[in-house]
Amino acid sequence: MSDAPADRTDSGTAAGKAEGAGFLDRYTTRALVAGVTVAAVVALLIAGLLFPDSIAGTLSDALTSRNTLAAALRLSVPIAFAALGGIFAEKSGVINIGLEGLLIISAFSAIYVADLTGGVWVGFAGGVVASTLLAALFAVVTIGFRADQIIAGLAVWLIALGLAPFASQVIYGSPNTPTVATSPSITVPVLADIPFFGALFSASPSVYMLFAAVFGSWYVFERTAFGRWIRASGENPKALDTAGVSVTRVRYAAVLISGVLAGMGGAALSLDLGQFTGNGPTMVNGKGFIAIVAYLFGNYNPVGAFLSTMLFAGLDAVQTVLQLQGIGIPRQLIRITPFVVVILVLALVGRTRLPEAAGEHYETEE
Amino acid sequence: MSAADRARDALSRLVDASATERILISTAALVLSVLIGAVLVLVAGRMTTCTAGEAVYYFGTGFCYDPVVVFDRLFLGALGDPFSGSWSPNGQFAVTLRESTLLLFTGLSVALAFRAGIFNIGTQGQMVVGALATALGVLWASSLVSGTLGTVVLIPFGLLVGAVFGGLYGAVPGLLKAYADANEVITTIMLNFIATGVALYLVSGIFKDPNSAANQTVPLPEFAQFPALLFGGRQDFSIVALLFGLLAVGALYYVLEHTAFGYDVRTSGVQPEAAEYGGVDAKRTVVASLTLSGALGGIAGAMYVMMVLGTFQTGIPAYGFDGITVSILAGNNPLGVGIAALLFGVLKSGTTVVQFATDVPPQLVGVLRGLIILFVAMPEFFRLLARGLPGAGSKPKAVATDGGTDGDRGGEADE
Amino acid sequence: MATAVHLDGITKRFPGVVANDDVDLEVERGTVHALLGENGAGKTTLMNVLYGLYEPTSGEVRLDGEPREFGSPRDAIDAGIGMIHQHFMLVDPMTVTENITLGNEPRKWGGLAVDRAGSREAVVDLADRYGFDIDPDARIEDVSVGEQQRVEILKALYRGADTLILDEPTAVLTPQEVDELFDVLTELTSQGKTIIFITHKLGEAMRAADEISVLRDGRKVGTVDADATSQEELAELMVGREVLLDVDHGTAETGEVVASASDVVVEDERGVRAVDGVSFEVRAGEVFGIAGVDGNGQSELVESVTGLRTPDAGEIRFRGEDVTTASRRQRIEAGMAYIPEDRQDRGLVMEFDLVENGLLGSQHGRELASNGRIDWPKTRGHAEAIIDEYDVRPPDADAEAESLSGGNQQKFIVGREFERDPELVVASHPTRGVDVGSIEFIHERLLELRRQGVAILLVSSKLEEVQGLSDRLAVAYEGEFVDVVDPDETTEEELGLLMAGERPGDDGGGGGGPAASEGGDAGETESDAPTELTDAADGERA
Repeated sequence: MSDAPADRTDSGTAAGKAEGAGFLDRYTTRALVAGVTVAAVVALLIAGLLFPDSIAGTLSDALTSRNTLAAALRLSVPIAFAALGGIFAEKSGVINIGLEGLLIISAFSAIYVADLTGGVWVGFAGGVVASTLLAALFAVVTIGFRADQIIAGLAVWLIALGLAPFASQVIYGSPNTPTVATSPSITVPVLADIPFFGALFSASPSVYMLFAAVFGSWYVFERTAFGRWIRASGENPKALDTAGVSVTRVRYAAVLISGVLAGMGGAALSLDLGQFTGNGPTMVNGKGFIAIVAYLFGNYNPVGAFLSTMLFAGLDAVQTVLQLQGIGIPRQLIRITPFVVVILVLALVGRTRLPEAAGEHYETEE
Repeated sequence: MSAADRARDALSRLVDASATERILISTAALVLSVLIGAVLVLVAGRMTTCTAGEAVYYFGTGFCYDPVVVFDRLFLGALGDPFSGSWSPNGQFAVTLRESTLLLFTGLSVALAFRAGIFNIGTQGQMVVGALATALGVLWASSLVSGTLGTVVLIPFGLLVGAVFGGLYGAVPGLLKAYADANEVITTIMLNFIATGVALYLVSGIFKDPNSAANQTVPLPEFAQFPALLFGGRQDFSIVALLFGLLAVGALYYVLEHTAFGYDVRTSGVQPEAAEYGGVDAKRTVVASLTLSGALGGIAGAMYVMMVLGTFQTGIPAYGFDGITVSILAGNNPLGVGIAALLFGVLKSGTTVVQFATDVPPQLVGVLRGLIILFVAMPEFFRLLARGLPGAGSKPKAVATDGGTDGDRGGEADE
Repeated sequence: MATAVHLDGITKRFPGVVANDDVDLEVERGTVHALLGENGAGKTTLMNVLYGLYEPTSGEVRLDGEPREFGSPRDAIDAGIGMIHQHFMLVDPMTVTENITLGNEPRKWGGLAVDRAGSREAVVDLADRYGFDIDPDARIEDVSVGEQQRVEILKALYRGADTLILDEPTAVLTPQEVDELFDVLTELTSQGKTIIFITHKLGEAMRAADEISVLRDGRKVGTVDADATSQEELAELMVGREVLLDVDHGTAETGEVVASASDVVVEDERGVRAVDGVSFEVRAGEVFGIAGVDGNGQSELVESVTGLRTPDAGEIRFRGEDVTTASRRQRIEAGMAYIPEDRQDRGLVMEFDLVENGLLGSQHGRELASNGRIDWPKTRGHAEAIIDEYDVRPPDADAEAESLSGGNQQKFIVGREFERDPELVVASHPTRGVDVGSIEFIHERLLELRRQGVAILLVSSKLEEVQGLSDRLAVAYEGEFVDVVDPDETTEEELGLLMAGERPGDDGGGGGGPAASEGGDAGETESDAPTELTDAADGERA
């Protein structure tokens, strides 16, 4: 025990720190983060009002601009859809880290089918189908063949990352597709004229679908028996099994739903722009991973996931607006703010409570 | 312990039943992926157009792409066509070895973390950080020494800088995991984006080479780069770097199997509760393994700068992600990483050959990579295939991110 | 009376094991039938056959005379069978109502929504009918273990169960909760329900059951009327020979204090004080035992002594030094051996072979490694010596830990820990789930160490074990030591009362707020003078 004293103080403080973090209940930490964010925004707005010519003024202009809200909503669509999909899968006990891949495959397929048929909505359906098929493969591999969920999810991402540009190259001779027609945005009369919030009522159809999907997901989890089964399947699959509900079926259904939702996100992403770009990390560019963070931060609640998506997307949107106004913050650094925020949030909030059985294969006895 | 004992010991560990099955599964995964790739090539060949003369015919149907040619180019082409008589050490084979060398390090990086039960997706970011640090560090140091002495001094120095900075960057998710309980899969993915973004900012700004249009640092002098021995330098390959890589394979194997630290890492990887019981400091092991893992990734970055590019340029190829594939294919075994890195070196280098020799899009190799991971991850599938075959009863182990702990053990306990 | 359940010649084979061998069982409607046997006797397997989890290799299940075949628990549930598992099948973050109705939720709007008001009403009605005390809106994670068990029973009743199977229902309960459970069982049978109750505790079987069937090694060795049998008869049926659980260990020649705890407080993950101000000391050459129903803070206390946990307050001393915040490794190196309660999670690395497992805890020591380098041949020799000395079977150092039976795993752990040449052995449930032969062996080894002057801290929920082996015995209840007694001078009845939280001198007022106990006072107890020594065959009666 000769080296005990030196080591002791060390591990002592470490333990103390860990306990300190434990005291901050995750909800209070979330509330704290949210509170600080709101306070900062309010302070910024006041500063902007008082000194309209300062950077704060420009920033608050950017924040209150309805264009910012419109941009944030647009950027949110793929991320929020994927996050909703991720919630379904993970609540049922299957961690779907392949959301990025589902977005990629649906983004490409939507354009391809739209180009083939000339119909935007047919294309949309095509994207959803492609994503669902890939999700089905993932489901078979993880649920049927007991593959490690993280590794299989990674494989789904890599397969899509290769397959979409591959197909684009084969079909169009370039990893980027030609452009197709986009669907016009839908404007609700009168409501759309409200300052700032009017952006909510003059948006592309995918934004409205997202609102519907957020509500629908919330409804499924909070009000339906199926939603309860999904929760039980992720928390204590044996309880569900002994209650006579097939865990395997629930998990298959949940993963397929995650494919459908992510497919809607991917299809909306490419169809809103009318093109799929497949260079490097493709046009999806990490949105699937941000989606994972969004639902973790939203504590597996569909509404929470949507709000945290809006937070990330809002940052991105403000950055774009600022860029247009030539504010001297380097673009590359603003680009990485969401990622830094995620890390800071994770460091503060620490572990989000995963469903008890997430990541584990479940085998019915005998 | 005599040398003979040691050899026998090493052999007995190698011939371990689960190791054999690992190898079988990896091989089967590879073969199956190639077969699916072939089908994909055929299907793609139906979807594109070509003249009748260019088409090949299988099963009475014409296809624009010929999978046999594709895989011939992919594999034999990558080896520099050893049977054609025109093999040269300066040819494609050198490219293959160059890629393999880099993959050795990223593969080892991922494998080490995996063995500790940590999924380090951040090797890519650690590599970027290591590469940038090396490019800047060696550039600064190259003004102090030069000539052969410069090479002898600067190369170890550059590797050290890469290792230190890659290691520090790897320590970040380690600390976050150990002390804030933050999931390393998410933090490492985020840190990849951050590394790329910050590197882009620095290299397009203060560290930008004023004489270049590209976002890159001032190129290193020739003497500060890996020397080309045996193989001509035309393919940016140095056998010295490969030897470093093989040394790293041996060293990591030794560390994992023959040291107390390696025992701690392996125990934490398969059964963290038991490790804690056995006196392993879980937090320290997490930080140490991710730091070491990051250092290996950083060395890969240093190699890339000092052997391949001679400068740091944005858009470093995804060696870090390939490292995940290499490690998974190798069952996270350092010796296996040696073989898997060579294989993936072939795939990567063959990609360019395929691109020149055929019209098949090179992204095919990306799909193959995903398929291989998918199949390696599902040993159950192969077990099903092998059912009924003699000797199929051996106990299988899934590759798992938690190091392979299985939920239900103890089985039939009536308590 | 009618036969509700009839198992006819049930045989269930697993690869290499016959879990049930031609078992016949008849259970009358409206009665409680206990299925008694040691761990591994095949009780749970038999009930899993009845519940449709396993298909029998041969034999037949008959309900009310009708032959039935169950492909899954679903079939069994539909046939009116409910099972309350030892580990509750409840979803912690969901409410009591949600758990009870899970899988059979009342619906409305054509199935598009759960009828939440209707669910709650159904649950409340059901609870009222059987006189259950539950809060339908509480989350499972917030209610007591006893209430969780009632929820499990209601879950089965909600599904229309006529026959309830309870697997070791008392293992996790306090004596008071056990009483409540038995009242519930009485109420259920009076309303015509049939209960099959799996247990290895003789006293409980006699108390709660009308009939008792005893299983041994997968065979049924007899069915007796609970009123017409004795504990001795049951014990003999269970183990097949006279059990001698009383170990004669002579008097202790105690030396200096090796380890001590003073005013230790440990909060569990939920912030509840699992250990609430415990003090004791263990001297060289003595066994200090801690008795108590599981879950009264023993695990947390042991973990803070061995370094797996840092106490929130108080001090742990070992060999004269304050080790309260010392790492696990420092404590191992200072000579603390530890037999953990969960061998498969902590004690062994299941995927490692025995050579590597023999190194666990010594990898940083000087015996088997030097300068951080492991000496594998030496380590192999070490493992082989343990295997040899402690009769681990199969005697193969290359066997993976998970391939060994529970008893042999435990013997290997015991061997590894004893061979550390320790100053202190912390033995937590050292014989749990271990066969009778190995139990005796482990007990002998433990006493041998004691004779050599090693200090031993023994925690066990088996009363006969702690009572038989300890020189001084503390009784833990709700995170405190109710009393420290001389086990030879204390009757089982007295210990039973202490385990239920009743303090010596209390007029049976119940376990309300025992004051901080004064530990470490060797042998001196405040309990009533010893009355008589009873037969030690049944230590389970609380």
